[in-house]
Amino acid sequence: MTDTPLSTAPLLLILPLIGFAFTAAFGRRLGKRAHIVPLVAIAAVWVLAMGLAIPALLGDPALGGEGSSLTLFTWIASGDLIFNVGIHVDGLTGALLLVVTSVGALVHLYSVGYMSHDGSYWRFFAYLNLFMFSMLLLVLADNLLVVFAAWELVGLSSYLLIGFWYTKREPGLASKKAFITNRVGDVGFALGLMGLVAVFGSLDIHTILAGIEAGALTGPAATVIALLVFCGAVGKSAQFPLHVWLPDAMEGPTPVSALIHAATMVNAGVYLVARMSPLFAASHEAMLIVAAIGIFTAIFAASIAFTQTDIKRVLAFSTLSQLGYMFAALGVGAWIPAIFHLITHGFFKGLLFLGSGSVIHAVDGEQEMPKMGGLARKIPITYATMLIGTIAIAGLPPLAGFWSKDEILGEAFKFGFGWVWLVGLLVAGMTAFYMFRLIGMTFWGESRVNPAVRVHESPWTMTLPLVALAVPTIVAGFLLGFPFADGILVHGLEPVFAPANELLGHEHEAWTLFGIDGLLMLASVTIAAIGTAIGIRLFSSDHTQLLSSITTRLRPLYEGSRSRWYFDDLNDLVFVQAGGRVARALWWFDRRVVDGAVNGVGTIASSSGRGLRQIQTGRVQNYALGIAVGLIAMVIVYLMVAA
Amino acid sequence: MPLPPTIPFIGITWADALFLLLGGVVLGSATLVVLGRDIIRNGLMLILTLGALAGIYVVLGASIVAGAQVLVYIGAISVLILFAIMLTQSKSASAQLNFQTQALPAALASALIGILLAVALGATQWGSTVYNDTPDPAGTATAAAVLFGPWLLAFEVASVLILAAVIGGIYLAMKPAESEEIEA
Amino acid sequence: MSMIAGHLEPYLVLSSLLFSIGAFGFLARRNAISMLMSIEVMLNAVNLAALAFGAFMPTLAGQGVAFALLIIAVAAAEATVGLAIVIAIYRNRKTPLVDEYDAMRQ
Repeated sequence: MTDTPLSTAPLLLILPLIGFAFTAAFGRRLGKRAHIVPLVAIAAVWVLAMGLAIPALLGDPALGGEGSSLTLFTWIASGDLIFNVGIHVDGLTGALLLVVTSVGALVHLYSVGYMSHDGSYWRFFAYLNLFMFSMLLLVLADNLLVVFAAWELVGLSSYLLIGFWYTKREPGLASKKAFITNRVGDVGFALGLMGLVAVFGSLDIHTILAGIEAGALTGPAATVIALLVFCGAVGKSAQFPLHVWLPDAMEGPTPVSALIHAATMVNAGVYLVARMSPLFAASHEAMLIVAAIGIFTAIFAASIAFTQTDIKRVLAFSTLSQLGYMFAALGVGAWIPAIFHLITHGFFKGLLFLGSGSVIHAVDGEQEMPKMGGLARKIPITYATMLIGTIAIAGLPPLAGFWSKDEILGEAFKFGFGWVWLVGLLVAGMTAFYMFRLIGMTFWGESRVNPAVRVHESPWTMTLPLVALAVPTIVAGFLLGFPFADGILVHGLEPVFAPANELLGHEHEAWTLFGIDGLLMLASVTIAAIGTAIGIRLFSSDHTQLLSSITTRLRPLYEGSRSRWYFDDLNDLVFVQAGGRVARALWWFDRRVVDGAVNGVGTIASSSGRGLRQIQTGRVQNYALGIAVGLIAMVIVYLMVAA
Repeated sequence: MPLPPTIPFIGITWADALFLLLGGVVLGSATLVVLGRDIIRNGLMLILTLGALAGIYVVLGASIVAGAQVLVYIGAISVLILFAIMLTQSKSASAQLNFQTQALPAALASALIGILLAVALGATQWGSTVYNDTPDPAGTATAAAVLFGPWLLAFEVASVLILAAVIGGIYLAMKPAESEEIEA
Repeated sequence: MSMIAGHLEPYLVLSSLLFSIGAFGFLARRNAISMLMSIEVMLNAVNLAALAFGAFMPTLAGQGVAFALLIIAVAAAEATVGLAIVIAIYRNRKTPLVDEYDAMRQ
């Protein structure tokens, strides 16, 4: 091993792979002990990852700034096209590693308790390790082709994990939906990659970014390629219109929802756009579209979360909404706040999901909130940690969510995107409202739980990760984001986004408490507080009369929100039904015309055969006459030709 | 008294007259062979045809072939044919049609063949010698030199062929052997 | 002086006419033995032509006669076997008429 700072980096990839292979091969035989190897592997990965991430974020000369690269081997060498597999670590990588490995390790621990009753225990851990490998490969890769491969691998792991209980109908359908929707986005992604190869002749990230910095890609070409790459992000990170798979993905076990659909995989799209920030910065139109889709998804998903009754689905739509925030931030050029929010969201959303899993476990599998209530006293640890997570996501200071969300909104306004700011503000209020609705319906008021169920707190393997995640939920915002515009994260990520900022013409500004920044902060805190207050007021105890009167007055909105604004029905109509008709028409064509032509040839052959068969009279004299006639014909022809 | 060089009053040589006479007999009896109704009469007409042809062979100067023709063709083959006719007679022979349905096309075809052949053969410049009276090839001696010289193999093969034909003919024409009585 | 018997062409014309007569008989008669007789006629026509060539072409001296003798031998063999076959079929089918031999008809 050479003595580069990245000498331990390949282990980050090898360890989960070994964990997966080992568990896949021997897991069944190990039974209840199948988690040991994967868990140890991930713990080791976490230690190594922290060893790389923390120096990178703190501005270590080798890992911070531009970062370091390590080429492992050449994958494809075809004439002028060379694709290497290598690892690159810088501040952005560090940020992602932080979230991915921390939440990943805690989810592994959590799963020991959560999946303990499951017959395919070993398979779960095998898939989890496979997923960790894919995600780490995606984050560490320095060549877009490897990123694409890891992209697909992550999608595969997600498919396997969503459909973990494949013997039931819904998980199978949900995993298919996830994979297919992702695939639609990936088509755009692949086209974008082809565009990049056409322009730069390589998919090496450094080559491309350096080329863009030097002005090699501008104008409509930049817009098209950027948007195509964004297609992949739209699919993977479930933005409108490819958001439909995420709510259905809740069919998977809760640890899966926490890990993949909150803290890691869905962040892949955000990471991709952030990593390719110069590409987007080269096109104002593309950035605008990214911001528009992001903020639209945010309010779209938040409005649906108002009326959902399944606890996991509320959290799923909440994830969609927060991801929308991140893309809105990226779209307006607020790169660092987007990544900041990625980190904080990873922690508190992971916490919320694991907490919901604990709640579900406590009430013996019930997921509908109307059947919960009054659980606060009975499952205190879960309640406390979930409350912390809710306060964080509502954006109330001084918890993590406040810091990152406020920065997004602030920079949106300051860069001149007033509409993004306004909608974002509204969504912040909505978020606070529906999250406290969730807390209220689950933990407060009278118990509506089935009396036969014995409500019990979860084992330590489940509550420990909850507590562990509560810590960064409380302090991460402060640690990484204070002082404003001058904190650790800003310094760690500034060099990464410097090229993009240069293209945009953004400069580092100081933060003024008694200026525009303070006002904006006041606005966001106020609206969060209002949302919280309304939520608490309506859901702290049973206010069924009040609630039903509200819903009656707003019946069309209520129904629309519950049906997810009929978007799934639209998809069904346009693609499934219409697609079915088209398919049937084509089948008719294939049967009648294409097969008809082929069959026609056969029929011609057999009917002409039947006709020509009449010549075979079986009589020798007819044949002899034939010979004579043939002879005459040949002689005549010969004589004519010879003459 | 030697014959005059040409036939009196008509002025064609004897050879020509002989040729014309024999040729006419050949054609006429051949026509009767193929057109006659009674099949035995056809066989007899065949004998007549073969005999007249033997005469033409003599005019050509190939007396040995004429002899072979008479011995083999008339003496053996025609007799064989007559035997076969008698063996395969059916009672309703007189009432049957003699010609097939394809007789008319057959007539056309054969007429065309004949015309084509005649025209082609007659019009080609063969570079042949012209004789005053009748052809004067070297006769039997030369033929024997050829037959037992370069064509010896063909001669031997022909004898083998005849042997095979004899055996085959006997075998084909044998009555099928009776199956043995099964012991009761 | 002989206008006809001393030239090659008349013999050839006679041969071809005889051949066509034989061909007609072969193609048009119903009785198998009639067909065989017609075949003999055709063979004789060929014989005549061969002899004529042998007589009039100096390079073919003697070969015409040898060829004709061989043809006679072959004709004899062929007539033997042919008639034997006709008799065998007659035994089977009870008729010498070729019209009725159509077991190979489609």
